[in-house]
Formats: sequence, C-alpha cells, structure tokens
Amino acid sequence: MSLAEKISDLDTFLTYSVVLEEEAADRHDELADMMEVHNNPEVAATFRKLAHYSRLHAREIRDRSSGRSLRVIAPWDFEWEGMEGPETGDISDVNYLMSTGHALKIAMGNEQRAHDFYFEISKGSPDPAVRALAAEFAEEEKEHLELLEKWLEKHPESDEDMRWDPDPAHMPE
Amino acid sequence: MDQAAQQIALTPKDFKSALKPVWCPGCGDFAVLNAITKALAFMGLPREEVALISGIGCSSRIAAYTSVYGFHGVHGRALALASGLKAARGDLTVLVAGGDGDGLSIGGNHFIHACRRNMDMTYIIMDNEVYGMTKGQASPTTAPDWADSKLTPHGTGIRPFQPAGLALTAGASFIARGFTGDPNGLAKILVAAIGHKGFSFVQALSPCPTFRPEQMLWKHHVKAFDQEISSNPVEAAQRIQADDGMSTGIIYQNERPVFRPGTGVDNGMGSIESEFTI
Repeated sequence: MSLAEKISDLDTFLTYSVVLEEEAADRHDELADMMEVHNNPEVAATFRKLAHYSRLHAREIRDRSSGRSLRVIAPWDFEWEGMEGPETGDISDVNYLMSTGHALKIAMGNEQRAHDFYFEISKGSPDPAVRALAAEFAEEEKEHLELLEKWLEKHPESDEDMRWDPDPAHMPE
Repeated sequence: MDQAAQQIALTPKDFKSALKPVWCPGCGDFAVLNAITKALAFMGLPREEVALISGIGCSSRIAAYTSVYGFHGVHGRALALASGLKAARGDLTVLVAGGDGDGLSIGGNHFIHACRRNMDMTYIIMDNEVYGMTKGQASPTTAPDWADSKLTPHGTGIRPFQPAGLALTAGASFIARGFTGDPNGLAKILVAAIGHKGFSFVQALSPCPTFRPEQMLWKHHVKAFDQEISSNPVEAAQRIQADDGMSTGIIYQNERPVFRPGTGVDNGMGSIESEFTI
C-alpha cells in the first residue's frame, strides 16, 4: 500500500504536512547557521530567508489545523520516501564555499520533492477532503518552485565555482 | 506520562544549546546532534537528569551544543570520566560521545574495559575514519590503503578495527550501527540504546566532507541489516564479520549484570579495614 493510500484522514495528512514544513524550516536554519559560522553571509541569508518561508507555510498549516487533533508520530515512524521529510535538504549537499545559486538549487530540489509528495497524495488518498487539500498544497509548492527559478536566474554560478578552494584544508607540512 | 505526552512536553530544540556548531558544513556530526536531541525529546528525559561526556576531537565538541549537563574532557578519557560520573550519580542518564580516534586509539583501553564493565551508559562513536581536528591523519578505523595523509603517503598498511566486533568481544551488552544520513533512524537506535540497561555502544557512520570527501557517497552504500537483533554473541560475531561495515541497525542486545560500585566481588578490604578501627 502506498503512503498516499495510507493517508486516509485529514488529521494524519495535516500532521505530515506540518512536520514536513517545520523540519524544512529547521534544516534551513541549520544550514544558515553553518554558513554564518563559516563566514559565508550571503548564502546564510539565503538559507535564513528560505527558513522564514518554510516557517510561514508551517504556521499556515497549523492555523488550518486549529481545532483538529494532530497525530503524535515518532520521527522514525513517518513513512517518507527518503530518510527525512521531502522538503528537508540533505546536510551532506552543502559546502562552505557554496554560492547563493547552489543554495537555491538545493531549495528547488526540496520544493520539487514536496510538490511530488503532495501531488501523489492528491491522486492516491482515499479521502476526498485530503485529496483536495493536498492538491492545493501541491499547487503552492509549484508556485514556490517557479519563484525559486526566477530567483536562480540572478545567480548563474556553475558547480565548478564550489570546487575551487583558494585555501584548501590539508595537513600542515 | 505516556510517551506521546512526553514528546509534546519537550522538543528536540529544547535539548540544543545556543552555541552554533563549528563543524564543517556537510559534516555528519550535525546529524548525530539532531539524532541525540530527537531521542532525548522523544524519551521526555528532564535535561537536568542527563549528562553528555565527550573527549577531544571535532565530534567531541558535541557536549557544548546540547543543553544537558556536559563535560568536554580529556583526549580518550571520556569513558573514564563518564564511569566516574555514573558511579557517583547513578540516577543520571549518561551519554558519552567522541570520534574513532578518541575512542579506539587514545581511549581504546577505556573502551574495552567499559564494554566488559557494563555500566549503564550509552557510548556513541562518531566514526569518520580520520582524525579531522588535526587535519586528516589515519585513525584506527581507516582502511590500510588510504594514502591521502602526508603522514601515511602509502597508507597505513594496518588492518582497521571493526568497532562493533571489538565491542562484542569486550563484552558490550548492546551494539548498534547507525548512519548520519538517516538521523531519524539513528534517533530510533539511540532511544533503544539509552533504554538498554547496561553499556550500549552505537557506531555512527559520520562522513567527513573535508578530509574524506569520498565518504559523501556512503549514502548510496548504507543499507539496513536484514536480520533481527541477536542475543547470541556467536551469531552476532558472524553477522559483523560477514558485513561490509555499511549495514545499520541493532546488531546485538543481551542482558548482563550491570556494574555499580559496591556490587562487585568483596575484595576483603572491609574486614581488613575493620581491624584498624579503635
């Protein structure tokens, strides 16, 4: 049985949605912290902004959940397709030399996976109310993706930029 | 309070300090921190009843990044410190963390004796197969042909330790391996390890993006053990030997008497000392 088929009530769907967004916000903040500590303020600011947007989205979902009983699910019991929520960026994808363009590409991957997650549920959940709300969220994620695409146009850095380190870390002579 | 209510009471963020980690961006140690804080939040442990003891090295900085009691100790001596703490304050939940060099080289002797002593604590080795803080030298878990360090330009040529096998031989009563690319899976293992009565050992495969960038590919090789937890040491040993070191899950768990000061064999000192009493 697919996850979409298992999400058969609004409370479970909202629980997944809130956790998806809040984990994404926390991860963006974590990545922003990493960049601040490593003196990459531009990328830090980008991740911080992305955290802000994820948090706004999470708050919106929490508001819509008002009066409902969100489930309490242990972090490891969420049946995400990957090892973490679909909008949670992978820590191993970042580097202290990364640029805003790289950060935006990571964010776009996150938004794409979030869109796919909601889209699958909008097609596969047995509950019509879940399907409708999931379709709405999928559409929102698509809009985020389009906004990120426009933002990225202003940052045409190549992946090669991140690999060139003028002061590489290595063992002292 | 049931587990669900406890989870609401404390969040993982409550277990983090205000300090921002100085680990390299991309380091697996961030995920260990996340896994520990998620595990503690899930278990609903009061912060003042938990202590995290560490040694020296990149990973050992972790004690400062949590809001529980912490002690950033001496190189290789985290388990000695933690054993002292547990002896004095048996009521505390004691976690110990450090790297593969700290725990298996400088602290190797403490490690094997902590395993056999079986005090009730959880030891996490954040294994990146390299000394990172000193800029990339081979550690006891480094493959013999790793030649990227200037100290060992042709590799060490020495067979690496298998931390899980070493722990089993030395008598650890709980042995598991997790991966930082799966912080939720690692948190689940930590909940079981902390809940275990006795010495629990968790090897966390934690890639080093700076000195071992090839480890960033571990996420494509790690898989879950396809067998149930074993309580049979022979079976567990076979499982560890047959594995490539990239399988995750709880490998071995058994009940064994937990060492507490005063519960060992009477060394006769009491009767000798009583002779001095006037």
